[in-house]
Amino acid sequence: MEPEDASTDDAAMSSVAGMLDAELLIESAREIPATLDAFLAQVERRAFRMAELQLRHREDAMDAVQDAMMRLVKHYRDKPAAEWPPLFWGILRRRIVDLQRRRKVRSIVVGWLGGGRDDDGDELPAWEPADHGPGPLDRLQDRQSYADMAAAVRQLPQRQREAFMLRMLEGLDVAETADAMGCSKGSVKTHLSRAMHHLRDQLEDWR
Amino acid sequence: MNSLDKHLERRARELYLEASQRIDPVTAGRLRAARRHALAAAQTPKHHLTRWLIPTGAFAAIALATLMVWQPVPHDTLTSPNQAISMSGAGVDMDTELPPDAEKTDPNLYQNLDFYGWLAANNSQHDQPAKH
Repeated sequence: MEPEDASTDDAAMSSVAGMLDAELLIESAREIPATLDAFLAQVERRAFRMAELQLRHREDAMDAVQDAMMRLVKHYRDKPAAEWPPLFWGILRRRIVDLQRRRKVRSIVVGWLGGGRDDDGDELPAWEPADHGPGPLDRLQDRQSYADMAAAVRQLPQRQREAFMLRMLEGLDVAETADAMGCSKGSVKTHLSRAMHHLRDQLEDWR
Repeated sequence: MNSLDKHLERRARELYLEASQRIDPVTAGRLRAARRHALAAAQTPKHHLTRWLIPTGAFAAIALATLMVWQPVPHDTLTSPNQAISMSGAGVDMDTELPPDAEKTDPNLYQNLDFYGWLAANNSQHDQPAKH
């Protein structure tokens, strides 16, 4: 019985350590640094993940994050530090939407030029820029859960996805999420409720 | 929000933060460079001259246009007195018009005005045929 008890204890300790790590990560993500440099250093990787998850393209994601940084520093560096998170995520959200629209227009133009159908006249999938970097699964390898979550989040409609990512993943409160999304608090709650309903169905394995 | 949603939220956030920590070194380096570039661009002094150039140019153009439209046109420059005399004498009936400028007209005309009146009346009597 002793070896079984020991393995159970180890598992419990490991679980507790994992939870503490996660707690620390979440807590550190909520702290707002005093300087803009520190703030950007804190959010740059998360911003890249968020942009990459929505755009599915590493170079576009890099462009979006870089542009958001430039705009925040240029226009809002004198604002109080507490206002930086909703401003930054709002700028990044708009930049992501811009890139998605531009990609859609490019896809339509390719369709007009005859590139949208194959020899049999069947419609080809929408044009996507080539991504030569390693895919999320390659980079994360055993992070299948993240890949599952990312796939489920990508299936959400745009506004539901934004509400889920800003409110749940990034941890902004409802008012900050509304500011970043440019809508009312009620709209945020509605989008979020629908997103959670959809994700509950998609991620049943997590129960 | 029920416990299932809370579990979903917590799990999703953990994965998201963990994935953000596991970004490859090349991408992390590029993100650092992008941040430094953004901060450095904000610290370079702004060119105040170029900032004011467009508004100043626009104001100057508007002022010039306003000046050209609203500038009062002096009538003297259009028609001088001599031009007015020559114009009035050219095409109108001289008998019904007074001289345009009394000061510049020959003073003898006014001194012999009675004589000219008598002459005009006398001529009209001679022109009429006698009735028998």
